[in-house]
Amino acid sequence: MNAIEIKGLKKNFGDKQALKSLNMTVPMGAIYGFIGENGSGKSTTEKIICGLIHPNGGQVKLYGRDYRDGDVRAKVGVLIEAPGCFPNYSVWNNMMLQAANLSIKNPEKEVQKALKMVRMEGAAGNKYKNCSLGMKQRIGIAMALLGDPALLVLDEPLNGLDADGMRIMREVLTDIIKDGKHTVVVSSHLLGELQKIATHYGIIRHGKMLCEMTAEELDASCRTYVALQTKDMNRTKSILGCKYSRVEEDESGYIRVYDAKEPEEIVTYLYQNGVLVSEIKTDKIGLEEYYIDLMNAKEVR
Amino acid sequence: MENVHKLKFESPSFIQRLKGMLGVDFYRLFHTPMFYIFLAIAAFIPALILSTTGMENPDGTMSPQLYTNVWNAIAANTPLYTFNSIGEYANMNMVFIFGGIMVSIFIGHDYKSGYVKQLFTTHAKKQDYMMSKSITCAFAMACMCITYLLGAVVSGLLVGLDFSVNVGSLLIAILSKMIMSLGWASLYTFLNVIFRRYFGVSIASSFFFGTGIPIIAIGMIFGNAAGSVLNIFLYGSSVYACLSSNIVTLLVCLVVSVAWALIYNVLGTILLSKSDVY
Repeated sequence: MNAIEIKGLKKNFGDKQALKSLNMTVPMGAIYGFIGENGSGKSTTEKIICGLIHPNGGQVKLYGRDYRDGDVRAKVGVLIEAPGCFPNYSVWNNMMLQAANLSIKNPEKEVQKALKMVRMEGAAGNKYKNCSLGMKQRIGIAMALLGDPALLVLDEPLNGLDADGMRIMREVLTDIIKDGKHTVVVSSHLLGELQKIATHYGIIRHGKMLCEMTAEELDASCRTYVALQTKDMNRTKSILGCKYSRVEEDESGYIRVYDAKEPEEIVTYLYQNGVLVSEIKTDKIGLEEYYIDLMNAKEVR
Repeated sequence: MENVHKLKFESPSFIQRLKGMLGVDFYRLFHTPMFYIFLAIAAFIPALILSTTGMENPDGTMSPQLYTNVWNAIAANTPLYTFNSIGEYANMNMVFIFGGIMVSIFIGHDYKSGYVKQLFTTHAKKQDYMMSKSITCAFAMACMCITYLLGAVVSGLLVGLDFSVNVGSLLIAILSKMIMSLGWASLYTFLNVIFRRYFGVSIASSFFFGTGIPIIAIGMIFGNAAGSVLNIFLYGSSVYACLSSNIVTLLVCLVVSVAWALIYNVLGTILLSKSDVY
């Protein structure tokens, strides 16, 4: 049984086709990283899952039931764009109002629990409008957590967070899925952060799912490269460029050679050309580079 | 598979949902300055009308007095679907015009804050939303009727107007107008659902219908003789609740208000169900 199963989903906005027969499968207990460039159809898909907009075709099932089923909707928590809070009310009052809307029994306890999960107990008395962006994002997640939802849909929850906020958010999301009953769909442009928490990925482009994979499959798909440093980086680059097809200098000052078989091969080759290697290591490309590679490959086709 | 069995899929009952949403809407109503501002506006309208009419102008002439009897600021003596002077028009029905603006602001906040997204994603059904807004806003408008009454009485005392009236008819007229709040609130909720993406248009449409212009236009064409037919409309029934009201007036207002509330709630629910939420 999957938490989400989408087949042939279509959505048009006037003449524009936002989703073109999109398929998507999110297994239960996953943190599903939903990736795509701006305007690729991520938010549209999420809004359809949340029942906010109506598709023009296709099938959306949540836990094997139609996504419009009232009982299954009651098990969905959402943070899309903004948490839907009233700015002049305190965090606590906003949460209590949401708890009332959800007809939660024992709301004080539930609100306390949700605020504790997102490490916001201390800010309950703050007015929502006085909270920082990072705090607002966490409040949004706390609101989404009310009513013990089985499925959380979070649109760009990592936006605007500082390093500490990112760490807390990572901890929160990994805590949520620990019991295996909860599933999280999270879209983000911060692929490096997403890679630290996601167990599954879906990459969407122009309203179509390019690929879906598990974190293990991504790991296996990511090419290895050899990174090295020498005293004369420019000369090294030009020498390596004569033998290897893809040689790039990365942000941290290493030369990356993508199609070398072994580091020893490069060290020997450079030594033969009079260059001494001061540091060398092998590594794998991350999600961000994988994504860029995938996009470039599709562009070429 | 094992985990699926652990998940319990059940949603709250209709009563639970409505109770929860009404709780939220009433909390918001009582905790927003807007509600108290509109209560004050409702009290200020009769005070303004009663205290400025019949006053001496700077050139020494007297401005025409709209009312000699204070209760005419609440309702006309007989149902007047069309009118010859502003005095025949300006009565408690004006609460419904300002009430429309209040409803537009109240519902506008739902969309502006993103609250409806949160609401419609989870438990809320569209008819719960329509019902909750209609009931809350009807209550607010009924409160405005009360402050309007207080404003009229206090300014009438200060100006020294006549207070003689058939108390029974007056009470029925006031009660009938308060009952009409439900129909008006439902109309405004429906209009705000239609124009939810255009706040200015929402307010303008509420104002347009609140003034009763379409019904007044029909009244002007067919005269007050068309009254019994015009009573099927919200403005018509609101005018019907006058100082010569009897129990039939109350029943007519009750039936018309509830009927239109149901119609607008059903239409609003259908519209919300068929349209996307942004």
